[in-house]
Amino acid sequence: MARRTKIHVGLEIGSSKTCMVVGEVKADSAVKILGIGVTKTAGVRKGEIYDFSQARACLKDALAKAEDASDVEIGSVYLAVTGAHIQGINHRGTYRLPDGEPTVTPEHVEEARSIAREVHIPQDHVYLHPIIRNYWLDGLEHSMSPVGLFGKTVEADFHVVHGIGTRIQNSIKLVREMPLEVDDIVFSPIATAQMALDREQRERGALVIDIGGGTTDYALYLNGAIAASGCIPVGGDHITNDIHLVTGLPFSSADRLKITEGDASADPVRSVGIAKLTDDRGFAEVEVSRSILNEVIRQRLEETLKLVRQRLPVGSVGEIGAGVFLTGGTSLMRGFSELAFDVFGRDIYRPELPELSGTQASFRDPHYATAIGLIRYAQILDAERAKPPGIFGKIGRMFWSSGQ
Amino acid sequence: MIPYIRDPKQTIPTSSVKIIGLGGAGANMLERIALDGMEGAELLALNTDQRTLSSGLALEKIQLGVNLTKGLGTGGDPELGHRAILESEDQLRASIKGRRIVFLCTGLGGGTGSGAAPIVTRIAREEGAFIVVFATMPFAFEGKRRREQAETALNELAVLSNALVTFDNNRMGELVLAKQGVHEAFAAADHMICESIKAVIRLVVRPGLINVGLDELVSALRTNRSRCLFGSGIANGKDRAASALKNVLNSPLLDQGALLKKAQTVLVHLCGGEDLTLFEIELLMQRLQKFIPETAHVLFGAAIDPAMGDSLSITLISALPEDSLAIKSRDSLSQHSQENPILDPDQEIDPELMAEDPVPALPTPPENPPEPTVAAEPIAVHASEAPLFDAAAAESAPEPEMELLAAQAIVEPLPGPEKPSELLPLVEDEIPESPETAEAAPEVPAVAPSPKKKSPFSSPWSKPKEAAPLEEPIFQEPAAPAEAEPPKLKLGIKASGPQSELSLDAAPRGRFEGETPNVYEGQDLDLPPFLRKKK
Repeated sequence: MARRTKIHVGLEIGSSKTCMVVGEVKADSAVKILGIGVTKTAGVRKGEIYDFSQARACLKDALAKAEDASDVEIGSVYLAVTGAHIQGINHRGTYRLPDGEPTVTPEHVEEARSIAREVHIPQDHVYLHPIIRNYWLDGLEHSMSPVGLFGKTVEADFHVVHGIGTRIQNSIKLVREMPLEVDDIVFSPIATAQMALDREQRERGALVIDIGGGTTDYALYLNGAIAASGCIPVGGDHITNDIHLVTGLPFSSADRLKITEGDASADPVRSVGIAKLTDDRGFAEVEVSRSILNEVIRQRLEETLKLVRQRLPVGSVGEIGAGVFLTGGTSLMRGFSELAFDVFGRDIYRPELPELSGTQASFRDPHYATAIGLIRYAQILDAERAKPPGIFGKIGRMFWSSGQ
Repeated sequence: MIPYIRDPKQTIPTSSVKIIGLGGAGANMLERIALDGMEGAELLALNTDQRTLSSGLALEKIQLGVNLTKGLGTGGDPELGHRAILESEDQLRASIKGRRIVFLCTGLGGGTGSGAAPIVTRIAREEGAFIVVFATMPFAFEGKRRREQAETALNELAVLSNALVTFDNNRMGELVLAKQGVHEAFAAADHMICESIKAVIRLVVRPGLINVGLDELVSALRTNRSRCLFGSGIANGKDRAASALKNVLNSPLLDQGALLKKAQTVLVHLCGGEDLTLFEIELLMQRLQKFIPETAHVLFGAAIDPAMGDSLSITLISALPEDSLAIKSRDSLSQHSQENPILDPDQEIDPELMAEDPVPALPTPPENPPEPTVAAEPIAVHASEAPLFDAAAAESAPEPEMELLAAQAIVEPLPGPEKPSELLPLVEDEIPESPETAEAAPEVPAVAPSPKKKSPFSSPWSKPKEAAPLEEPIFQEPAAPAEAEPPKLKLGIKASGPQSELSLDAAPRGRFEGETPNVYEGQDLDLPPFLRKKK
């Protein structure tokens, strides 16, 4: 049976930009990006919508651009959500086989899984994903379902992501008003990780940090499975704001200064002299001592990375074999790799985007990592759905039906 | 200070309220009530298990089934609990005698609670008291058997009691955050029940501008086989009317006010300090209207209590017919309340109630009535009351119980958790007086331990309680709520007056101005680390 070509659309409504990516998954699983619609976002702060109508206008614009660029009529999207309210926790479900049943049956596994998914979450929260990490059979790790094997105790390790239901519903509502259907919602760092990490890197242990405009999302993979994920409500906007507060410059100049002159490396050589911005007529519009500018940026980023490190499970930084993968717009900051190395002491990478056939080289831009990651996520989900419906999908669908 | 004696007829006597904790769960609730400070009301602990009984804080304790269980528990057998209470019936009867309102707190499902609660209720009814039962239902994981035992007892209680409020332990999770410890969940449940009892007492005991009494309470609860809806909230400061109402609706028994939609009669009682304005009342009732059907009969009461300071409390009581319960199918919260018109004791109580409160705000009670009065009067109290108890007790009680009883008889006249300052004079009074009662209860030494028992009670609002005989509690009564409110505020809502906040907004926050502070581990992440760390 020949598999058909499918088109997926990934949508990320970020704090600084709304990005819609149209991708074509070919029969041989290769992904081709057909078009990208990007527009500056207004009405979103720290990953959460605070001005619904502005956000809607931006989304409309992005949708029009994406349809234009890709020549595809978009009917449904995969939506990335983030925000400080979303958390990921690990939970293990243990099921002891009844006497007289020496081998593991699918029902036993299902029982263990349902126990593992029963995490105590606050009342107003909903489940985004329960992601299976691995199975254990009598204390021995199995990456696949141990059905048919002999054993006494089946355990299932889950990573459960949950967040405040109403806020997520509002994101969905925004998309539905386009009108677009939502195929699935994905926690941003998980989508980004699909893009940034390959199987081997996950196996060796890798940390993805996506520093965007309003939030810093992270996902840690150890031994091939997700071990931690979360969101810190600090991003590039905060750097601009810090510069504004410390130097008194207006936001627009502070932002330009950050992008053109900022450096986070703490290298004293780069902090000599004065950073200048010139206006159209060549006059110096803004002058700020580089040492102050760089110190402000560095302290903000250093604190953010340390917050990420704090939130990771104890000792897990040492288990990261492949390295730390930085992505998101703010990761373009000069000297950021040096800073990240100071904090984590691991190899630092800006992710290389995998083989994507497409014309625009801009796809290699970390700005789009999450939206492109959504395409990859959709592709994986599709492969799983071809088999008996995957648990992602099932849960996703449950959520949609209740999220009406 | 100039002593000021008020007209004693204005209020319900303090001693007419009795709170009984039955069994282990009941003991816990009673503990909470004692710790939260229940003014005036007498606390009575009933249990088969001597160990829990002896460690309790209640002033009065009756060990059930002394011969039957020999100081052990019932081991979850309601039959044993049933027989144990019958064995101690006379003591209980003597203790309840003359009380107007009896609250029974118990946990159903176990032996003592399920077995004895119906009997206690019956005895209280027979003694002419208005009885309100607060019962907790067992957790689902405790199994079907316990659930059945609880259901059986609940059905009996529904018939016997005047009002029955049940709280299902399965809903305990809603009271606290998922992360909080299990002890906090239990404490929250007990606290809720304690608040309910307090609110009912406040309602019927405190004289009001617009009075509500037991008669209104009864009519609010009057539907056939109903479940009781109950909410109580207290708030202070600016916008206190709105936030008090919010607190009321947050009560787990009200389900965010959704359950009020079907209520036919709703009793609303407001209590505030002297600065309670008519505007506030109007505002509040207007907001409340949204939750109550237009056709509902609203029984409104308001009272002024100077001790409330600048806080405002709202109590909301109603009943739902049980069939609407079934429609809602909220099996986790099952509540029944049964008003039995035949047994209804409010006829006897009403006249008193009505008579007692036409006078609105009472002047502040004298804080420290002169010592002589106190010293002189207790003798009269003991003379009149103690023999009654001891006689009754002595007939029924075999030797081992005497000690308890003797202590109890002496403790009894003090109607509340009281005053360390009072202890010494009290003992002195007791001793010369005891010969009179000694025929019945010869263990005079038993008097000595009693102050010790009371010592954990040393409550902050020390105040002589047993001044006048019979009339005295009446006189004392209004003072009691006045005294009790401050500690309550301390526990519930901190001190009165707006609490000062540590200002995080000292520095400007640029584009994040005006947002909720993005605080993580005590640091506001919206402020530049450059500035934060420099300090």
